[in-house]
Amino acid sequence: MTSIEELRVLPPLAVGRLGAAVEPMDNYTAETDPDQPLAPRRLRPAPTFRVDRTSGAITGVETPGELRFTDGQGKVRPVAPFLEVWALTDDHVLRPLTLDLLRLNGLTPGDVRWRVRVGNHKIQRRTYDDRDRIDADTEWFSDHAAHALNGLCPNFLEGRSLPLGHARYLQPTPGFPGVRLRFTPAGGHVYGSAYTDRPTDPDPNVVDFLYDATKGTWRGHADQAGDPRLTIPAQIYAGDDGPNGSWVSRGYLDDECDGLVHVKLEVSGRELTAFGRIGAGPPAYAPDSVPIRTVADELDQALSGPRATAGDTLEQARAVAEEVLRRATETVRLMNTEVMNGNTVDGRVDAASTMVRQDTADTGRLFEPIMAPSLVDTAAVLALHQNVLAALRSGTAPWFADVLRDHDEVGDLTAKGRRKMPALMRGADGRSLALTRRQVDLVRLAARQAIFRQDTDDPEVPR
Amino acid sequence: MSDDHIDPMNLTAQLHYRAAGNPPSTLPESAISNAFPGLEFDIRNIWRRLLVGIELHESDNYVVAADPGHERLVGRRLLTVAGHDVIGGLVGPTRPGAGSWPLTTPTNPDGVTMLEWSNSLADVLAEHVGRSVPCLFTSGPAPNPVGKPAALPDPGFEVVELEVRPLFARSAETGDPLAVIAEEMAGPGDLTRGLCSPWQNDYRECACYYWAASRPDYVNVEDTAAGTSTGNHWFAKDREPRVYVLDGRDDSRLVSYDDLFQDWQGRLRFIVGGNDAPEHLEAEQEDR
Repeated sequence: MTSIEELRVLPPLAVGRLGAAVEPMDNYTAETDPDQPLAPRRLRPAPTFRVDRTSGAITGVETPGELRFTDGQGKVRPVAPFLEVWALTDDHVLRPLTLDLLRLNGLTPGDVRWRVRVGNHKIQRRTYDDRDRIDADTEWFSDHAAHALNGLCPNFLEGRSLPLGHARYLQPTPGFPGVRLRFTPAGGHVYGSAYTDRPTDPDPNVVDFLYDATKGTWRGHADQAGDPRLTIPAQIYAGDDGPNGSWVSRGYLDDECDGLVHVKLEVSGRELTAFGRIGAGPPAYAPDSVPIRTVADELDQALSGPRATAGDTLEQARAVAEEVLRRATETVRLMNTEVMNGNTVDGRVDAASTMVRQDTADTGRLFEPIMAPSLVDTAAVLALHQNVLAALRSGTAPWFADVLRDHDEVGDLTAKGRRKMPALMRGADGRSLALTRRQVDLVRLAARQAIFRQDTDDPEVPR
Repeated sequence: MSDDHIDPMNLTAQLHYRAAGNPPSTLPESAISNAFPGLEFDIRNIWRRLLVGIELHESDNYVVAADPGHERLVGRRLLTVAGHDVIGGLVGPTRPGAGSWPLTTPTNPDGVTMLEWSNSLADVLAEHVGRSVPCLFTSGPAPNPVGKPAALPDPGFEVVELEVRPLFARSAETGDPLAVIAEEMAGPGDLTRGLCSPWQNDYRECACYYWAASRPDYVNVEDTAAGTSTGNHWFAKDREPRVYVLDGRDDSRLVSYDDLFQDWQGRLRFIVGGNDAPEHLEAEQEDR
């Protein structure tokens, strides 16, 4: 049970969040109240590692008295995730790779090697010029220093690079013996493009000029209408109106990125490798809320398939159904549903980028609100979600299954079709949001629980 | 799963594993996927290379590149994979009181729409990894959307057999799937390439509040005497009066593009329980 057979990096996908404060965000939990399941999740401070800047070792763990998302001086605290190395041992169990496990295999922390590669390919995606790719690579390391992720790009000004944060192999200690790496994302700054003869062209919006507008085409780039390779949606970059309805890039870039964290260890003459993924995105500005459909839902479906399986219990299905309702409530709570419904608000018709506008612009569908305008005040919509939850819990919500939008109904823009749930929101295909098929199947299972109870002696067997 | 053991076959537990010290906002369940294109990741990108030999547009059935032997498929549109449609019909009314019928336009004469890869290819991934499956393409370049033929064979369409690539990496030891997206499906930079540049622009540009968990809209909401609600736009520079300023993109009462580019950290407030986080209220009091 001590021989290391294989490695894993967990979590397999970790989200970092941008911010320029020196101290990363503290740890916390977001707990639901079983008595008020649709109430806001309660955020509570949780044990937080303190890392010594010099040694790279964890020196202690503290639970802060209160949560603060900024440093109080106008900077956001970055969310800097830890990635742990786990070992598959010869007893077929995954366990954390620790000093003890290393020692039992005749190894030391210095035998663990890391490499982090991240990229920001936003510009290249638009210009199709591979010289616009921005990439950073730490190369292999096994020390405990902070390794800067400096994004290099052939079309950058001479000697310039894009700071994409840093990665650090934390020094395992007897008190904190696990093998882990921390990814600290960048500050969240906006950078610019300059011509070589005007390298510091004044622009208060950017912190620095990195891109050489003489070499590459990003500054002044305009998506060409009708090009089927364009991003969907197109023109999603900072720009200004140009001739013939074009949208001309200002040449701005940011310090978001995503990439891979590799780990390598030679055990008994065998080189074991593993990798995890990281990304740096904006802060979660409502940290007690969860999006209705998340990246985890995508990956869950990809792992488990689009339908509930024999491995899914009715209890799990109910939990999924409640979580979907909770997330829907959290979104509604923070969304002006009158505006998103396409109501006339403050005398303005077509007031925002809604599905109502989108359906008309894309397909020529009649412009009209989705729900009756009188029904969509936030208070009323929240009450509706509460009623659905009560019906689900009491086993009287089989109708709920029929109002969920199926994935192949996103083009149903009839009055009834647009009212299906989730309503008022856009999905990744540009039409109204549909949940993943696995989410829908599990919610339907829960919603129809009363029917199963009548039809089967074993209500806990889904199908 | 216990704190120090995980069943190596339990991929769901590994996917959702929250490492010690990591807050919930580090987890993939904190990242939106009802993405157009997204905020943390443009997760649509994981599907581009599912079919060996071709590269698909991240959110369209258009073939953008191909390996040797499949070059002729570049520029064509993919309509079905292993019998599963990747497009659906568009239907709805165009006049008040009128019935619904196919919604066609000059650039979409068949009135069809793409279905999200993650749902339309879910069966393919679940049932056909490592095997070749019939894929229905247009028989020539198709810059605009195309609908399915009424029947096959049809000279406007061609069936090509393509292998389905695993989405997840495999264990070198056992060959079993792991919980991490395979490197050949998405390299560094691939999961963010479709996002807005810079991301701050998207927060202002897209006056559509689908992403409330990351980008709230309606905050500090309270009931009115009439039984309805009122509150602030998240972008409101001042929280008093507590009225919702409709986004006009150029209303000086709201944070502007330039404000975000220059000082998003100072301008945007964290929202807890639907209201400005206490630290922002403290800062306001100190400013007075």
